[in-house]
Order: sequence, then C-alpha cells, then structure tokens
Amino acid sequence: MTQEAPFKAPDPDEAQRAIEYCYEQGWSDGLPLIPASKPLVDAFLATTSREPDEIIGSLEQVGRDCTVYLAAVNAAMAGCKPEYFPVVLAAFDALMRERAARGGGFQSTSGPAPLIVVNGPIRHELEFNTTGGAFGDGFRPNATIARAIGLIVRNAFGIRQHVLGQATQGVPGRWSICVAENEEESPWEPLAANAGLAEGVSAVSATLTRTCEFIDNRATPVTEEVLRDFADTIGRLGPQIFPQTPVALVLCPEHAQQFAGAGYSKADVQSWLIEHSGRTAGEMRRAGKGHVLNFGRSADADPVPDDDFHRVLSQPTQIPVIVAGAKNAGISMVVRIFGEWSGVATPVGEKIK
Amino acid sequence: MPNAILDPTGATKTTGKAAAPRAARPSSLKGARVGLLINTKQNAAPFLHEVGRLLVENYGVASLTERTKKNFAMPEADEVIKEMAAAADVIVTGVGDCGSCSAAAAADGVVFEAAGVPTAVIVTESFRATTEAMAELRGAPGFPYATTAHPVAVLTEDKVKERAAGVLADVVALLTEKDA
Repeated sequence: MTQEAPFKAPDPDEAQRAIEYCYEQGWSDGLPLIPASKPLVDAFLATTSREPDEIIGSLEQVGRDCTVYLAAVNAAMAGCKPEYFPVVLAAFDALMRERAARGGGFQSTSGPAPLIVVNGPIRHELEFNTTGGAFGDGFRPNATIARAIGLIVRNAFGIRQHVLGQATQGVPGRWSICVAENEEESPWEPLAANAGLAEGVSAVSATLTRTCEFIDNRATPVTEEVLRDFADTIGRLGPQIFPQTPVALVLCPEHAQQFAGAGYSKADVQSWLIEHSGRTAGEMRRAGKGHVLNFGRSADADPVPDDDFHRVLSQPTQIPVIVAGAKNAGISMVVRIFGEWSGVATPVGEKIK
Repeated sequence: MPNAILDPTGATKTTGKAAAPRAARPSSLKGARVGLLINTKQNAAPFLHEVGRLLVENYGVASLTERTKKNFAMPEADEVIKEMAAAADVIVTGVGDCGSCSAAAAADGVVFEAAGVPTAVIVTESFRATTEAMAELRGAPGFPYATTAHPVAVLTEDKVKERAAGVLADVVALLTEKDA
C-alpha cells in the first residue's frame, strides 16, 4: 500500500499544471483537487474487498451510477488518504439510504448539505477530530471525507450548480460537515447504537440538512430552562414548510452532561422536546405559515383555532441526538434535517447487504 | 511515461444514445381528450385547471382528466404514464417551480412523447437550464416547453388565472402541428 517516495522534491510547476488540468475538466468544487493517478486510486481500492465496478449508488432520474472505482477516484481527488476509503464508502451508503438523497434532494432549491456522523474506534485510528471545533476546519479525515461525498455527487452523478443543481443559496459549508461523535465525554450511547448497532462498532450515519443554528446557553442551572431554549429554536417558523420539521441535535458535552446529571436519558430529552417544540396556529398564520396547518386536512374542515399549539415533531426518529465538540461552553447546534433521517448506521469496512 | 490523470465522472453515455421519439401532432385540439398531470406544487392545480378550462372553452377540447403526481421531485411511475397516455390524446403538466420538479416534468414530457402523446411541459422561467439539461439527458435535446414568470406559488387566485391565460397560446402551439 505504501509507495516509495522519490528522493527528489516534487516539481511544483508540474503539480500546478495537473491541478489546472482538473479545473479545466470541470471536476473541481472550486478548490484545488489532488490529480488522481492509477497507483493512487489502486491504493484506495486495496482497502476494500468490494469490486471496483460494483454500483454503490444510483440517481435514477438522471441515469447515473456511482461505482466503487468512481468513489475511489473522487475520494483521492478530495484529498483523502487511502485508509479513509472504507469510511467514504460507509458514508456514501448511509447517505444514499436517505429518501431525500435519492429523490431529487441534490437538485433541490434548498441545496442541502450532508451531515455525516462517525462512531466507534475508527475515529481514533484515522485521527478524526472528536472534540473542539466539531463542525470546523483543520482535520484531514473530517474535511476530506465530507468533500469526497460532494465530489461524487458532482462528478459521478453529474449534479452541478446552475444546471441540474438549482440551489437558491445553498447551505454554508455544504460538503464539509463530518462530525466524529465525542463518545468519551458523552453520558449516553452513541448515535450508531440508536441505529441498532452494538457499541464499539465503527459506523457512519448520514442525513441531508438545511442549516445549523446554535443555542448558546451557559448561565442557568435549571435544566428545563435550557431545554426550553432548544424548543424555541426547534419550533421556529422559518423552516416550517411541512407539518413535521425534523432536526438533529448536536449537543456539546456540557449540555449533554447537564441533562444527564438531571436524570434525563437521550429518550427523555427527545420526549421533552417533542412535547414542547412548535408554535401556535395563530403565530403560524401571522407569519404566512398558516397553509402548513392544512396538510392532510379536508378543505371543508373547521380551521385550526389560533391558540392550538402545533408540534413540529412527533417521534424520536425525527430528533436524533449526537454529542460533539469540546467540554468548554454550553454551545450546541440544532441541525435542520431535509426530509427524514433513515435511522440507519452503516458499519465501516463491511460489505453492505 | 507519466501516469494519466483519471476521470472521476464515469461519463459519458450521452454519445450514441438514440434520440427520444416525438409524438405526431394533431392539426387542432378540437374534440381532443386532455390529460392534466398536476405536480402538487402550490398553485399548480388551479393553474392547470384554468389552462384546461380555457382549452375546453376556446379550442373545442372534448374532455379533461387529471392525475396528481405522487412525488413532484421524481419522474412519474411508468404505469401512471401508461394509464394517462391511454386515456388522453394530449397532456399538459406542471408547474415546475423548483429544481427537482422542473427536471422531473421534462423527464415526464419526454416519456409521454415517446408513448405517442403530445405533451406541453410548463415550468417557471427560473428553471429553464435544469429543464433543458434533463431533456437532453433523456435523449431529447432541444425539447420544447412553455414557461411562465417566476414565482407561481405566491400568486392570488386571479393572478394564477391571468398566468394560465398567458401561457395558453404556447401550450396550444406545443400540442399541435404549429409546434413544428
């Protein structure tokens, strides 16, 4: 797998020509690509027992498939190391289990971003960032694995902005969100366990998201006050276009430990927020969201009274909880899910189904 | 001999792909059965209903049938296309006012045409590029379609009717020999 590096320093002019060549082909997401050669891609393919021509995802509506080989070329171009490739395959598998990802999500005016969540020992084996700056920059596996997924969508599926990609504004950091859960400081089971896998299994979960909204709350000892702050953001009117508005909660260790210390399990946090997140029908009407109340109701039904409370969540699968970041402040993130999380985590390095 | 830079696209199947056939047009819509395929987007139903009403009133259309798409973002299922193609002489579909639904409308249009049913696809002007790209992917480069201004979803009932009236001549041209 390791290749002998030539003793001579690389030629920067040649490297630049190769990078420019990749730009000219239209392959780049805007940033420089690593030009992929056969020896490099072979090193990626050597990390999996799957055949290079196995199809690992299709966008039926555009007639395009992604194979193991194409995923490897794009992962190499994204700057992944070969040993990251099983995680790329698992992330792509998890994402393609999302109905929204298969069903036109990449073409959507919302321009959704994958949220990729990594669990298990692979986080440390590959040196993912598992602590401070969970959504941020500076760590090669987190940055390049998310980018690899974006390049697969661009190149293997052929979804490019202004053509088949029709994002109105898109999501900041669209192809950069790969969170390795802070299992060491989480009081609860990891996300992959909620998806039915045994703890200690390396696995990847993924869903499409529309944005991240922070909750900064670090001055009250009253747990329900903190939860009410979350409920306010979760129930916000802006994202409401359908009766249900799923979110992922990416809790910092401080908030997670505060909740757990008050006796809340993950399921308790979910239940509390399902009960309290929403707006009244009157508030919705005053913000031009009254039509959301009418989904699934017959046209001649009595109008929903103004003071009825409309809950935006109804079940725990609509609010997966992840713990990430540093234990240094009460700053958490509400991540808006586009569609609904499949509830699946894909084990790393296993042949899928 | 240096290594080649590998292509990450896996493309392209576009060359050598057979062109999608286009249905023969009637000379007029007199006595025609019109099928409306409504994509569920806000105001799509009243928009297409008004187009249908005007076709009956002004062009001698004999009957209207309608179906509502199960999923606006995706091409319609083959069996629905078959049923509609059997029950209608021409189809009007829309209104494409988002990325996936405009592309899906174009894809549906190409399939209806191949099944021998002239089809008028209506999208808003903002989605020309994706409509054309999808038609080309489906083997129908240059696929003709009708447009209305963007947006449609926020229009009042009266404005929707105005817009429907505004696109009517284009719809008729797309469905009849004038198209050629």
